[in-house]
Amino acid sequence: MKLDILPRLHRFARRWTRKRHGVDPDPMQLPSKRIYIIPTSLGIAFALMLFAMFIGATNYANNLALGLTFLLGALALTAMHHCHRNLSGILIRSGNCEPVFAGSVAKFQIALENGAPLPRHEITIANDHGTAAPVLVQANGRSTLHVELPAPKRGLLTLDHFEIVTMHPFGLFRAWSHLHMNLTCIVYPRPSDRRMTPPPVETDTGGAQEAMKGDEDFAGMRPFHPGDSPRRIAWKAYAREQGLQVKLYAGTAVTSHVFDWDSLEGMDVEPRLSQLCRWIEDAYAEGHAFALKLPGVDIPANVGPAHRQHCLTALAMFES
Amino acid sequence: MSATLDQKMQQLTPLGQRLPWVVAGLALAVLPHVPHIAVWTLLIAALATGARMMIEVKRWDLPPKWVRITLAFAALLGVAASYRTLNGIDAGTALLVVMAGMKLLETNSTRDLTVVVFLAYFALFAAFLYNQNLLLLPYMLFTAWLLTATLMRIHQTESMPVRDAAGATAKMFLQALPLAVLLFLFFPRLPGQFWAVPAREKAMTGLSEEMTPGDVSELSLSSAIAFRVKFEGNPPPPRERYWRGPVLHQFDGRTWRRAGTPYTPQEVVSSGPTYRYRISVEPQERNWIFPLDMATGWNRERAYRTGDFQLFARQSQITVLTSFDLESNPQYVTTTELRKDLRHWDTFLPSTRNVRTQELARRMREEAGSDEAFIESVLTRFRSEEYYYTLQPPALDANAVDDFLFNTKRGFCEHYASAFTVMARAAGIPARIVTGYQGGEFNSMGGYFIVRQSDAHAWSEVWLNGRGWQRIDPTAAIAPSRIEMGLDAALSEAEDVPGRAFRSNAFFSKVRLAWDAANTFWNNEVVQFGEAQQRWLLEKLNFDDARWEYLVVALVLAMVGFFVALTAYLAWKFRPRSRDPVAHVYEQLCRKLAKRGLPRLPHEGPNDYVDRVAQSRPDLAPQLTELRTVYVNLRYGPTPLATQFSRLKFLVNQLQA
Repeated sequence: MKLDILPRLHRFARRWTRKRHGVDPDPMQLPSKRIYIIPTSLGIAFALMLFAMFIGATNYANNLALGLTFLLGALALTAMHHCHRNLSGILIRSGNCEPVFAGSVAKFQIALENGAPLPRHEITIANDHGTAAPVLVQANGRSTLHVELPAPKRGLLTLDHFEIVTMHPFGLFRAWSHLHMNLTCIVYPRPSDRRMTPPPVETDTGGAQEAMKGDEDFAGMRPFHPGDSPRRIAWKAYAREQGLQVKLYAGTAVTSHVFDWDSLEGMDVEPRLSQLCRWIEDAYAEGHAFALKLPGVDIPANVGPAHRQHCLTALAMFES
Repeated sequence: MSATLDQKMQQLTPLGQRLPWVVAGLALAVLPHVPHIAVWTLLIAALATGARMMIEVKRWDLPPKWVRITLAFAALLGVAASYRTLNGIDAGTALLVVMAGMKLLETNSTRDLTVVVFLAYFALFAAFLYNQNLLLLPYMLFTAWLLTATLMRIHQTESMPVRDAAGATAKMFLQALPLAVLLFLFFPRLPGQFWAVPAREKAMTGLSEEMTPGDVSELSLSSAIAFRVKFEGNPPPPRERYWRGPVLHQFDGRTWRRAGTPYTPQEVVSSGPTYRYRISVEPQERNWIFPLDMATGWNRERAYRTGDFQLFARQSQITVLTSFDLESNPQYVTTTELRKDLRHWDTFLPSTRNVRTQELARRMREEAGSDEAFIESVLTRFRSEEYYYTLQPPALDANAVDDFLFNTKRGFCEHYASAFTVMARAAGIPARIVTGYQGGEFNSMGGYFIVRQSDAHAWSEVWLNGRGWQRIDPTAAIAPSRIEMGLDAALSEAEDVPGRAFRSNAFFSKVRLAWDAANTFWNNEVVQFGEAQQRWLLEKLNFDDARWEYLVVALVLAMVGFFVALTAYLAWKFRPRSRDPVAHVYEQLCRKLAKRGLPRLPHEGPNDYVDRVAQSRPDLAPQLTELRTVYVNLRYGPTPLATQFSRLKFLVNQLQA
């Protein structure tokens, strides 16, 4: 019975705060009135100890013992203020969130910025799925934390709630605030098992189609991607401060796939997307170029991480 | 050495690194208990602590739960068996120490460490129950500070330098201090006790209910303080400073005893000056107050006077320093009628003891002709024959008075008082022994008298027809300087008196008196702070009719004031401060324009922003253009000038948007 009541109360409190505060801006400077504070179980133990001390000191009419009791009591109340102040006015800014595959855990990056000239200790963020290790945010400094959220299915995963928590300085009080920033993370479909062979390879020639001039003919430049051969980097262009560019030559042999939605006739939507996802991942791992065709989406063949992300995102957002 | 120690510490788990600090805090908190606690409890706690540290260093597993529970239960039984109770501070403290050790043994988390720190706080608290000395206070505060810093450190994920934690907690203590003081001053003191406290059995030096030759002289070696007295106005002259204690009636030939006295309250008619004073009695085994002879005014709810004029506190034992406001009249006459049974009671002597003395007394009484003349002749005998006043009198046989009067002739006040009283009784004059103190040291810094155990004294009282009870001090006859100038002056130079050299040194004497004055102030103003002082405080604060409701009001106001002040102070400390003055002025400008409905967009730099504002507010354009030039130069220019900065500030201030 008891086990039932607490989570229910918790959920109720969550809904209530959500209704009361609405969606929070990003970044957000945490106002004092948004912070809740209650004693921890250690705080309650401390209070009981103070009460026992008070009874004892009164019983023995001992002023110094009473004085110590009052000093510790006042210290606890001071600690309560420090605990509250530790959060109040901190700037919370969302960071990026690396897309994940369905079935894994999304990690949302949250940056905490401290504009005050004093450090803020032992601040952490938490949600129902875990608590980050507490960090010290230096005076005029910034720290980054992660909050995790399981991503069960593909699409857009929303982190609609997390808490910022501190128990500094003595663990006697827990100050926290509910934040509703609606941070999102793209969740790719879960890659299916390697069962189906990928569609046949079309060995294509990159760059200009009409000329089969081999590796030697310069056909232009494209931005550098990790994995490109350093021999192909256009160092002269780099010296001209045009950034890292890779020289493309006509006639470079490129293995290219076309991953087509229609080629997977007879399958349900999600398995189809999973299969496409698997092909994309394998092709990307081997450095093959690939094109993606979905109903209403046509991404031409290309290589590189940006292309991969583009394609996977298209899968993630398909019909949603 | 310290480097290797550091390395070793680094190898420990975070818990292991924090453990020594918790142990050190606990040890400091338990240290004041060492003199009165059972040794085995300390050993058990030390053993458990050592075992836990060993487990940490060797990375062993903690003992299984059933072992820990068995140990804790055995320790509990041990305390119960050793103290025969679990009630009271002695057993409670022992239990606390043992359980802190047991808790340490099973400590495996921050939470456990915190509980140990809490236990250490409690040990500190218990130490105050034993000792409220001013000397102990800095030590206690230091320990509380260390414990609190440790508490902070054990709640940090990353290890926090001791210095940082100590600094932060010191600041927090200072912030908490005002509230603690307000609570101390205004929290209503609840009268009485919640539960009966078993009396502490502890041997303390002081007068007792009986007197055997040698008792008082032994007491005279102790410089422990018996009580302090502060007079309103002038103190009585030295020869009147008799502090009256127990009155002894029963004599067995050697020892005098108080024994149940059948006296009913007697009247006292006083004459001469009345002295008003406050006496602060140090803790003792009894409930005796030592008023200036004769007490004539006292609070009937707190004290009572017996038929033989001893003043008792109404509590069973004076366990803590307690003050009484009294009045006394050194010149007085008691009731002039003595009941027959009382006359018999106070003239009784065991007939087979001290026979020579009794014979001598009867003969002298016949020769003297009157009681008064007899008393004078006895005192003359002490004065004129070879009697000596000494702290080291020889031992006496069973007929102590005979032995003293006729053989040894050396004695301290109790020998003379005893001999005199026996002689008076033998002569048929009702007589009794009064013990107490005589004299006292004046502390000019605090304006009060210190009366020590070394001022212990014994004298006689005799019943004279028509005059009632009269004080006769035979010591005054043999050593008048004892009464006028104190013990040090009365004893011969050759006599070895503890502390005499110390007392006669002017510098040490001054230091000692200053320290005692500080202690007395501490005792009167802090240790004994109570209802009366709270009432006085409220009257000072213009609450005319001081009632406890006002205390509650004052307390609530103080709390609210503290909360507001602390919140404001912390907000001020945490206010964001731009370290860049130029940026600060630019932010001012942006705020000013934003108020006029022209906020800077997040992507806009100063150029774009000023251009946009100048377009929508052409009237401000010239000022804004100059502002921009100055700002951009200050910010990005090669040589920003101080004059430019003041110009920028001026322009922003002048901007009338």
